[in-house]
Parts: sequence; structure tokens; C-alpha cells
Amino acid sequence: MSSSVESQPNRASGGRRTTVLASRPLLGYRTVDLVSAAMLGVAFGVVFWAWSLVYNAPAAALYAVFPPLTALLAGPWLLAGVVAGLLVRRPGAALLAEVVAAAVSALIGSQWGWTVLLSGALQGVGVEIALALFAWRRFGPFVAVLAGSLAAACEVVFYEWWQYVVDFSWAWKLAYLGAFVVSGAVVAGLGGLLLVRALAKTGAANAMPPGQEELERSAV
Amino acid sequence: MPRTGGGRVDVRGLTWRPSGRRVPVLAGLDLRIEPGEKVLLAGASGSGKSTLLRAIAGLLQTTDVGELSGEVSVDGRHPQERAGTVGLLLQDPSAAVVADRVGRDVAFGLENTRTPPDLMPGLVAGALRAAGFPYDERRSTRTLSGGETQRLALAGALALRPQVLLLDEPTSMLDADNAARVRRSVLAACEQQGTTLVVVEHQIGPWVEHLDRCVVLDRSGAVIADGRPGEVLARLGESLAAEGIWVPDLPAPRPLSVDPVLVTPTLHVPVGEVLLAAERVGVTYGSPFGGSAGEPRNVALDDVSCVLHEGESVVLGGGSGAGKSTLLAALAGLQAPDRGAVHIHPRLAGRKGRVLHRLTSPELAARVAWVPQLPEHGLVTHTVLDELLVSARALGQPAAAAERRARALLEHLGLAALAGSSVHHLSGGEQRRLVVAAALVHGPAGLLLDEPTVGQDRNTWAAVTGLCLAARNAGAAVGVATHDAVATHALVSPGGRTLTLERGRLT
Amino acid sequence: MSRPSYGPLSLLAASLLPALGAPAIHSTRHGLVCVGVLLLVSLVVVRDWSSTVRRLGLVALAALSLGLSTWLYGGRDLDVAAGATLRVLYLVIPAAVLTPFIDPTRLGDHLAQRLHLPARPVVASTAALQRLEALGWQWQQIARARRARGVGADGGILHRARVTASMALSLMVSTMRMSGSMSLAMDARGFGAAHRRTFAEPAPWQRRDTAILLGGVAVAALPWLYLVVTA
Ligand SMILES: Nc1ncnc2c1ncn2[C@@H]1O[C@H](COP(=O)(O)OP(=O)(O)OP(=O)(O)O)[C@@H](O)[C@H]1O
Ligand SMILES: Nc1ncnc2c1ncn2[C@@H]1O[C@H](COP(=O)(O)OP(=O)(O)OP(=O)(O)O)[C@@H](O)[C@H]1O
Ligand SMILES: [Mg+2]
Ligand SMILES: [Mg+2]
Repeated sequence: MSSSVESQPNRASGGRRTTVLASRPLLGYRTVDLVSAAMLGVAFGVVFWAWSLVYNAPAAALYAVFPPLTALLAGPWLLAGVVAGLLVRRPGAALLAEVVAAAVSALIGSQWGWTVLLSGALQGVGVEIALALFAWRRFGPFVAVLAGSLAAACEVVFYEWWQYVVDFSWAWKLAYLGAFVVSGAVVAGLGGLLLVRALAKTGAANAMPPGQEELERSAV
Repeated sequence: MPRTGGGRVDVRGLTWRPSGRRVPVLAGLDLRIEPGEKVLLAGASGSGKSTLLRAIAGLLQTTDVGELSGEVSVDGRHPQERAGTVGLLLQDPSAAVVADRVGRDVAFGLENTRTPPDLMPGLVAGALRAAGFPYDERRSTRTLSGGETQRLALAGALALRPQVLLLDEPTSMLDADNAARVRRSVLAACEQQGTTLVVVEHQIGPWVEHLDRCVVLDRSGAVIADGRPGEVLARLGESLAAEGIWVPDLPAPRPLSVDPVLVTPTLHVPVGEVLLAAERVGVTYGSPFGGSAGEPRNVALDDVSCVLHEGESVVLGGGSGAGKSTLLAALAGLQAPDRGAVHIHPRLAGRKGRVLHRLTSPELAARVAWVPQLPEHGLVTHTVLDELLVSARALGQPAAAAERRARALLEHLGLAALAGSSVHHLSGGEQRRLVVAAALVHGPAGLLLDEPTVGQDRNTWAAVTGLCLAARNAGAAVGVATHDAVATHALVSPGGRTLTLERGRLT
Repeated sequence: MSRPSYGPLSLLAASLLPALGAPAIHSTRHGLVCVGVLLLVSLVVVRDWSSTVRRLGLVALAALSLGLSTWLYGGRDLDVAAGATLRVLYLVIPAAVLTPFIDPTRLGDHLAQRLHLPARPVVASTAALQRLEALGWQWQQIARARRARGVGADGGILHRARVTASMALSLMVSTMRMSGSMSLAMDARGFGAAHRRTFAEPAPWQRRDTAILLGGVAVAALPWLYLVVTA
């Protein structure tokens, strides 16, 4: 009957940083959760588009050195899911963001047409697996790196080996996977985590658990 | 589903302290509004009006975190319990767009209240008409000017036919005629359905005779006056004016006098010479991603020539969508014209010459400053004081002097207490004043301000116009796009003139 | 509220179905025939050439670079390389041609009403998708504001890179701000409590959708038919 006492966000203390969890039930998405995940997808869709415009030159250079190395540049494509997952902290947020981002690249004009939906979904699932392993209770560097790596692994093993680098030998395919995972772990995993923390610091993510963590830290 | 009858709003002991603020924005507020009552909510900029509307809508904690206590109910229930009980028009209308076509956007609320689809076209068309929206429902929502967007958002709130309609500055970006139209139809719609209405507006004059009640908040968010508008204004007129309320029939406030040291340009051109000259400028809008399917290209400016002199203020007038914002951005060197060019005085030429949009960013910042129509678009940092010092730092000006000027400007604009606050947590009016101050600190020779007085109370209005006039008198060329007649008057006489745009051309 | 008259689901299916046909393509001749047929069909379908040509350009570039790499690392066999190129072209030309006909709002309508996906995420996603252009403008606004304040992106490469990175953070900040205010505006019009909702526009499956779907199936089958016929 009153708008007064909303349920306090759940907390689980894990080391130095208090971790603020999404309000339970985990699937009780607020409007702002849904819209944020989808909007992050759109924003990263634009980033992907911008990245694809500059991607070709460095990719050609790496290709000349050793073709599987081009996968080192793939990290940015995995960012959407990791960032949405770490920010919204609910099951499905990463998947939603990745699928929306893929749809955006298809709509703007992607060289892979709507098949990007499939690879977006696979990357999103990779992140979801990582977060599910910790029951959406841990969001530190280890989880972030795992999420980036699993997104990369899903993408390569279930998609790119069969569609994109079909003509590579198996040794090359494995090297490709390795480079992709490294890029996913570093760029998408750690980079995504840093991005989330930077966002929280600006106060723009106050509605989200990381923003509330930041408020708690500065409240001391 | 058309509902008739208004809701009873009951606010009891409402206290709200957003995290990061020491004092509550609203403290122990009590307010009871009867069904069908039409209430005007007034108060100085930053007094908590928008916050109170959000509280009544049950939406305080959607995006903000803080300590909330007390109760808010509509007809005894939480306002968000049933879809469509309350309809809220936000202060920033561009935030409200949720669909790509106008018709679909207006229908959004109807979809949420499970209105049968076959009833929607009629309701949508009616709401668009009531809001005075100039185009039909097929128009894309992406190509609307500020005032057009505001009327679209209003149509969305009206279409919902809520029991309680909450409007946050519904006519702030409209010219007088359109504002009057919108006012009439809002009142008629509420009358017809018995809707409870709460309107926040700074320019209360045109509303007072039509509303039942006037509630005034003071700067600490407490109710200082509550009663029939005529009586309240007659009894407390003077003290309310001192508080910042635009009490009708009082003479316009005197622009604040400002120490010229704060606003003197660092780069000079000889007295009275042309600082900026737009020559046959044309601008056509397309999509940011290059040619997209079938979108019409929009000619916003067509063959416009004009000049701004040193020590002169020029007011850009013209209806909503006439091209004021576009011309201002071109004069600020930010919109590269598709045809023609804007030149700056030869003495202030940059390394690559006099064409304004070819200057480097620091060169440009040292010469002209710009305040966008939506203040949020002008922010480049995260805290208030940083925001003021960005340009001075980029230009390598002495830090201590810059900070002194910045603090003095904040003081003038009533923002001193917020120096350490996050730029994103300011009220609409505060944010706009911040962007104006940030444009001035480093002493540019040209000042281009897009609707700088929107959302200001009497005192802050006097501060903003005072700064413009002081800058002009100190030798800056000041261009202001506005539909605020009082501001136009203050800026134009003497030492200024107006230019009027119509459909992208000067008349 | 007039919209393009094709359903988005059939278009989407027809864009994706060729993936089933493409793997059959192995020789240059086979590929040329199939891609040729596709292009002929495209001539009839395309209305808006400017956008389609841009998309086809992207597709051709990607296919050619793939062909080149196949030639370099796949034993320098021209037939294999050309096969790979044509296979990819066959896979993505339909998407390049059909995407301009897909309207995100209609796609949302159909996903929610025809496929019965949960309405709230679908509606939130279409609302977000229509902000795509707004975000593009936002990028320009950020660039503008920074330029006006003397912290814009010009100068050396390193400086530019730094500025671009901080602009990207600003874009993310704007994104979060936009999400916040958009959720507020949506809840202010009853979205928060709308666990079931109606839709202003229907999502009919029309006869022409069936035709498009059959067209997609035909495109998927064509390379296999060619194999059968020439065998
Ligand atoms: N999330 C927040 N965090 C911190 N302070 C806030 C927050 N939201 C609002 N404020 C502060 O609360 C005060 C009231 O804001 P509000 O937007 O309600 O003012 P207002 O009366 O609508 O002003 P205006 O007429 O300028 O729109 C302002 O001083 C503002 O800085
Ligand atoms: N980004 C855009 N894309 C396409 N068209 C646009 C865009 N921005 C503005 N327009 C169109 O260009 C014209 C001029 O717009 P502008 O914003 O300059 O008008 P304005 O005079 O400032 O109006 P207002 O008083 O409502 O702010 C309008 O018809 C508007 O619809
Ligand atoms: Mg306000
Ligand atoms: Mg304007």
C-alpha cells in the first residue's frame, strides 16, 4: 500500500568489496533491468559497427604474420554480453544484450547477414554459463575472465570452426581458439569489468548493483 | 480502456534523501489531493517539484537509490499497482520516446492498459489533436525538434487517460500560441474525464485562473503555501516572488548585475566589428549511419546569411522546428554546413584559416562557446566543479584564477552548494545553469546559447540573463535561441536585435 | 500506421535458410550458377538500391577476403578459393537484399504475438532498437560537446585514441542514463505493471509470407538440386 520500504538489495560479502546482488527473485526483472540490457546491446551494436570499420587493417597485418592470430582482435565483439551480465546480474541479461547487439549489426548492415544472430546467441550463452556456475553471486575479476573465455570458446567451437575458418587445419583451428579465448578473457573479461566499474563510478549505473556497490564504498 | 473519474492522491510523511546528498530533497511532506482537483505545483528551481511528481507516480526508486520513508497512495493503493492509474509527463520529453512512429509511440500506454486494438486509432488521433501535434501518426519520431517531441510526449500521457495526470513543465519548449493550445486541451481533457491533475510549471501566469489549487514548495522541499491560486498569490505574492516564483502581473525581474571580470573575453576583436559571419549556410539532415532505407532527408537550413558583432546580443526567434538550434550549432562551429560556411574575424583566425568548423577543438573553445538545447548533451565530465574547469584546463589557463571564477559563477547561479555533486543528479534547471556557467568560465569571445532560460525561476532567470548581458557588455558577441518573450525583451533592448527563422530561412 | 507489407518472420527465415543450401556448393561453376540465379531474383525484389548496394558491397568484400585467404592457405587452388567465395556469397546475399524490408517494430510485434515470446523483454528490446539512431546522434553530440569545450578529438594519433576511449565511456554513460529515463517514462505509462498487454498493430501471417518462405526454401534447395541434376 505504500511506496516506502522496497526490499533492500541482498548482500553477500566476499572479501574487500561488498557484492550487491540483484534483488530476488532473480528472474524478477524490473523495467530498468530489461531496458538497460537491451540498450547496452544497442550501444555495443554501434561499437561493433565502428570496430568493424577499423578492424580490417590490423587484421590483415596479423593475418600476414600467422592467420589464427586474427582472433586476437575478436575480443570487442564479446563485450556486450559480459558487460550486461556483470551490470544487470540476472539470468538472461547477457544473452539478451548479445542478441540485440547482433540484431543491430545485421540491421545496420553486417557482412555476415542475420547469421550473426546465431553467433551472438552463442556468445551470450557462454557468459550465462560462467555466471550460472556462481549462481549469480560472484562478479569479480575471475568470473569476468571466465565469462569472456567461455563466450569466446562457445563462439569458436560451435560456430566459427564450421562457418568461418573451415579451411584451417586442426592445429590452426586450435591456435585460433586459443587466440580467441585470450582476447575474450582480456578484452571482454577484464576490459568489460573495468568498463562496468568505470560506469559505476560516474553514477550512471546507480540503479544497478555495481552502482550501489560504488555508493556503499564512497559512503564510508 | 477509458476510465472516468479522478484518483485521490495521499502523500503522508514523505521523506526522500537520495544517496550522496546530505539533506533530504523532500522532508516529511504531507499532501492530499481530492479526486478531480486541478493543482498547480510551483517552486524555485531545485526545490523538489519533479521529485514530488515522481513520488506521486510511485517511481522514485526506479533509477535512483536513497532513503525513502512515508507513504504515497492513489485511492488507497500503490500508484504502480495497476497499469495506467497515473500518467506522468517527464521534464525531459526526449526521454519518453519508445517507438519509431508517432502513432505507435502514443499507443504505448494503451497497450499497457490492455486497450482493445480497434479502439486505439481513435484514441491516438484524439490525443495527438489535443496535444497540438503538427504531423500525422506515420511521422517518424526521430526527426522531431524539441518542441515537437514535447507535444508528442504529452499526447502519450493524455492517451493513457489516467486517473491522475502529472505534467512536468508541459509547455516549457513551446511558443506562446502552441503553449496556449496545449493548455486548453489539457484542461478540457481533464474536465471531461474528471481527471486529477498536477501541473508543474515555472510560468504559472497562464495556468492560475484555470486551476483549483496552488501548492508552493520552498527550497528545502517543504510546502510554504497551499490554497486557491488567486488567494495564495494575493496574500503571499511578494514573498513568493522573492522565493523565485513567477508571480503573474509583477514586472519582469531585473537581470542580475555581474562583475565583468567573470565574463570578459580573453581574445578581442575591435569594438563593434563582425565576430561571426554565416554566409549562405545550408544544412540537410540524414541518418548518422549513412543512407538508410527510404528516410526522407530534412532541409533544416536553407541559404541563411547573418552576422554577430562584438558587443552585441542577437536573439534567434521563430516557431518550433524553424531551424534555430541548427543555426546556432553552425554559428558555434559544431555543425559543418552542407553549403556555405561560417567565418570568424580575421584576427581570430586559427592555424587553418577563418572557416569556423575547421578550427581545432582548443582553438574553437578559446573563441566561441555553445550551450545545447538539452543541457545533458553539453556535459563532458561527472562532477559540477570539474565540468566548469574542463575548458580552462584544456586551454592551459591559470588554475587558481579559473577556479575562483568558476566558484563565483556557481555562487551567482545558486549552485554553490552543489559544487561537488554529480552532474547527472541535478534538477533540470540546475543542469541548464551549469552548462551556461561552463560555457563562460574560460572567457570565449562568442557565446551561443540554445534556450538558456527554460525551466528557470525568477531569481535564476535574472542570473542567467544577467550573465548574458554582462558578457555582451564586456565585448562578447551573444547569440541566443529562445521563445521566452521576457528574455528576448531583456536581451534586445538596447544593444541587441532579433532574427526570425521560418522553415530554415531568415525572414 | 502503415508499414512495409511483408511479415518480418518470413523475411528473417528467408535470410537464414540459404545457410542450408550453401554447404552444397563446391565448384566454381556450381557456385556461379547459384549466385547468378540469386542475383537475378534480387533484381526483381530490390526497391531501394542505395542501401542494398552498400550492404552487397560489404558482403562482397568479406567474401573476397575469405576467397583470398582460402587461396593462400588452401593449397593455392583457384577452384577451391572461388568455391569458398561463392559459398559465402550465396549465404549472405539474401540477407543483404531482404534486411531493408525488415522493420524492427514489426519484428517485435511478430515475436511477441506470433511466436509468443515473453512480451516485456521483446517490447523493451524494440524500444531500445528504435534508439539506435538516437545513439548514433548521441555519439555526435558527445563529439560536439567535447569539441566546443576544447577537449575534442584532434591532434596526434595517441591523443585521438585517448579521446575516443573516453568518448566511448561517455557513450556508455549516456546509454545508461537513457535506459534509466526511458524505463521511467515507460513505467510512467504503465509498463511496470503490464505483465499482459495488447498490441496496437496485428501480426498477421499473410499469403505473401508463405510465398517468401517458399522462396527461401527454394533458395536453400537450389544448390542441392543442381547437384542432383548434374550428377
Ligand atoms: N538522484 C539524485 N541524487 C542527488 N540529488 C538529487 C537527485 N535527484 C534530484 N536531486 C536534487 O534534488 C533537488 C530537487 O530536484 P528536482 O528535480 O525535484 O527539482 P525541481 O524543483 O524539479 O527543479 P527544476 O525546476 O530546476 O526542474 C535538486 O537540488 C537536485 O540536485
Ligand atoms: N537529427 C535530425 N534529423 C532529422 N531532422 C532533424 C534533426 N534535428 C532536427 N531536424 C529537423 O530540422 C528542422 C530544424 O530543427 P531545429 O532543431 O533546428 O529546430 P528549432 O527551431 O530549434 O526547433 P525547437 O524550437 O522546437 O527546438 C526541424 O524540422 C526538425 O524536425
Ligand atoms: Mg524539475
Ligand atoms: Mg531548438
